[in-house]
Amino acid sequence: MPPKGSRKKGVGLATSVGGDTPGGSPTPQTVSLAETLSYLNEPRPFKNPYYTKNINRRAKSLKVVLNAEKERQRLEREKLRAEREAKMAVDGAEPEQPEEEAPTYMSIEAPPSIMPQRHYCDITGLEAPYTDPVTQLRYHDKSVYELIKGLNASAARDYLSARGVNPIVK
Amino acid sequence: MTTNEPNVTALPLADQPTAKFPDSYDHYRGSKTPIIIDNGSTTLRFGFSTTPTPHCGPNVITKYKDRRTNRPVLLFGDAVELENNSRSQAKTPWEGDVLLNADALECSLDYAFLRLGIDTESVDHPVFMTERICSPLHSRALTSELLFEQYTVPNVAYCLDAMMSFYWNNRPLQESQQDGLVFSFNSASTSIIPVLGRKGILSHAKRIPWGAMQSADYLLKLVQLKYPTFSTRITTNHANWMYRTFCEFSDDYLAKLRRLKDPLEMQLAGRIVQFPYTATVEVEKTEEELARLAEKRKEQGRKLQEISARVRGEKLLQKENDLAYLTALREERATLGKREWTTKLQSEGFDTDAILDDSIKKLEQALNKARKKEIDGGGGEENVEPPSFPLLDTPDEELDEEQLKEKRKQRLAKAGYEARIRARKEKEREREERAAEEKKEEEERTRDLSGWSQKLRSEHEAAVLKIKDRNRRKAALSDRKSAVAQARMKSIASLANEEKVGRKKRKAGGDDMFGANDDDWAIYRKINIAAPSSDEEDDMAQLQTLEAKLLEHDPSFSTEHTYAAQITKRSALISAFRPSYEEGDTEGRNRVHLNVERWRVPETYFQPSIAGVDSAGLAEVAQMVLAAFSEAEKARLVKNVMVTGGPAQIPGLLPRLHASLRPLLAPEMELNVTAAADPSLDAWHGMAHFANMTDYTKIVVTKAEYDEYGGERVKKWWGGNWNAAV
Repeated sequence: MPPKGSRKKGVGLATSVGGDTPGGSPTPQTVSLAETLSYLNEPRPFKNPYYTKNINRRAKSLKVVLNAEKERQRLEREKLRAEREAKMAVDGAEPEQPEEEAPTYMSIEAPPSIMPQRHYCDITGLEAPYTDPVTQLRYHDKSVYELIKGLNASAARDYLSARGVNPIVK
Repeated sequence: MTTNEPNVTALPLADQPTAKFPDSYDHYRGSKTPIIIDNGSTTLRFGFSTTPTPHCGPNVITKYKDRRTNRPVLLFGDAVELENNSRSQAKTPWEGDVLLNADALECSLDYAFLRLGIDTESVDHPVFMTERICSPLHSRALTSELLFEQYTVPNVAYCLDAMMSFYWNNRPLQESQQDGLVFSFNSASTSIIPVLGRKGILSHAKRIPWGAMQSADYLLKLVQLKYPTFSTRITTNHANWMYRTFCEFSDDYLAKLRRLKDPLEMQLAGRIVQFPYTATVEVEKTEEELARLAEKRKEQGRKLQEISARVRGEKLLQKENDLAYLTALREERATLGKREWTTKLQSEGFDTDAILDDSIKKLEQALNKARKKEIDGGGGEENVEPPSFPLLDTPDEELDEEQLKEKRKQRLAKAGYEARIRARKEKEREREERAAEEKKEEEERTRDLSGWSQKLRSEHEAAVLKIKDRNRRKAALSDRKSAVAQARMKSIASLANEEKVGRKKRKAGGDDMFGANDDDWAIYRKINIAAPSSDEEDDMAQLQTLEAKLLEHDPSFSTEHTYAAQITKRSALISAFRPSYEEGDTEGRNRVHLNVERWRVPETYFQPSIAGVDSAGLAEVAQMVLAAFSEAEKARLVKNVMVTGGPAQIPGLLPRLHASLRPLLAPEMELNVTAAADPSLDAWHGMAHFANMTDYTKIVVTKAEYDEYGGERVKKWWGGNWNAAV
């Protein structure tokens, strides 16, 4: 149950309407549109003032979160395996069918493609039967090749990175 | 603001965000109606379950200090686009597919509840929220903590947006009959979920890491590569708009590409986006101004002429004075004695008589010339009588020292004079020859125009070929492995080796007989790459004369055939792909042409390797998903393939999906691909509908359960996630 007598948070505004000037001061200051749209100072009575936010709750990065998931899954799998072995040791009977493992964020990810890749021109996007040996760019025909010859090194590298190929910079 | 061309669309201006007023809460006070929140990566949709439509807003908040008033401001949704300051501080709760930023989520939920007008001490309604498929438990813990602790919600349930959209679109059917394959298109990923008996089989679901966000980014990258020197900065918002307005799926990508290969097709299929530009106003000089400038220039010319005439006159005067003085001096010779005469001469600066006579003669000649020029206007020819060299004929013994010196001088002068005459004769002869040649050519031309032009044209081609060959040789030299470069290295090596060879043959005198043979010097041409040879210039000059003659007389030889036009001609394909505009055309230079990109970008859903993403495409993944089911189940699944989610509104998706899935199935299996009635909002509608059913209470997590089990536990049900589900 929410604690009784929770006070209103925020600056004292009688009626909080989105269009009012904040502060309720009588001086006619020019208020920017941003301020009229801001809801920073509106009272939020529905928030629990006794809830101490975890101050150390820094937003964990994606890598950290996914690693934690992986760890958890590994631990569960080991626990399951240990359980099953214990059961086998005790009963000596066939192990029961393992439950369907719950899919996790990583397990549900699609695997890499096994279909043969088609080559598309890095410049125009049409089909590319040819590759330039100097820059490793794929191109569609002679005129595109002339264009490639005129590119400088950084432009060629940009085209390659659009394809996902990041050559090692010597 | 569209121009006359049909394919040009101007970039839309963003509308100003308006202040929104909170709803009235009185209707819902104490009613315990569930609040439905579709917490999407791009948009946040929220509302009470009994309202027909939700409030929508981009799921992004920003906290910053207003520049002018220096007061902190908190904005949500559309308002974030207001200023640069706010845009740079924008935060979203989602990072792609995973909810990480609890602060941002808190602000978003604050906005949602404020907008709904809630003013009680806690949010006294059950909350029904979406989460991503198999979302990491950390995200769920964050949201649960927020909802239960911060807002003290009585109970919470989580669901998958795709499942609820499926539920909403298949409402009339019996529960056991609700089977299908759901393609859920989200902002940062796309998932395929099989549904049997209204239950999502998540263990066989799959997800590819490509969604609307990555598509827009890829389009942005492609446009930036195509226009590296574009004047305005193209932002992700522009890319988003372009993606949504112009891109579409192709039924058969290869066939489409082959059709687009033709430059005309490409031009028809292209769309032009006109970015805002400032038109440059050329100050056109009016006729009067031009006339005035010409007048000024003529004035200046005239003034210069006057000045030079004056100076000339002065010089002439000076010369005349000198002449008078010197002649007077010469006359004195007659009166003075010899000794006095020589001293006088020396004091004037003349060593001998002859010198004095010489200078007098020179002055007279100069004066004559000048006078003649003034009379004729500069047209008179030189009429110099051949100078006489009297002393050359007398033998040496008869002359004394001075006269010998004189004789030597005269010999030199005579030699010079004869050489000049010879040169003049040569020039005249050459001129006559050239004139004769030209006349012959003209005769030939007038007689037989086609034959003459053929001959010249073949010469022109030969010259062009020679130039191209030279360029090719130069390019080949830079390539280390080419035959030309290797020949060069060989000649250098052989040159360096020549010392050893010569030691035995010392007899010939001199160590190195290199330069004796004239051809040896030709080796420098082979070795030195960078030397600009004079041959090039000769070739270019010859080419130009040929072209001039052809242009003038041959009607069928136009400027396109000239060498210059040939090398700068851009292929038709490239000019259709990326038309270039002239320097002064600011309107044209601020245009972005989208032709192949319109189909290339959505194609990455089916071939992520186009953009370098190492994942299988939608069709392949669908095949994988279907492979885990028996034939009967497969038939049930593909009979009802549903496509949902905001990004599914790109045109052409349904036919493409049908065409990709058809080959994977047996021909007699029925395949139907449909879209959700409203791909963006159907999830919310499904949730709202389900929340009012009795079954809803069975799947919620109450506060007590949260306190006991923590935020990660949920109840396993047909529309929710399975991880950590009880």
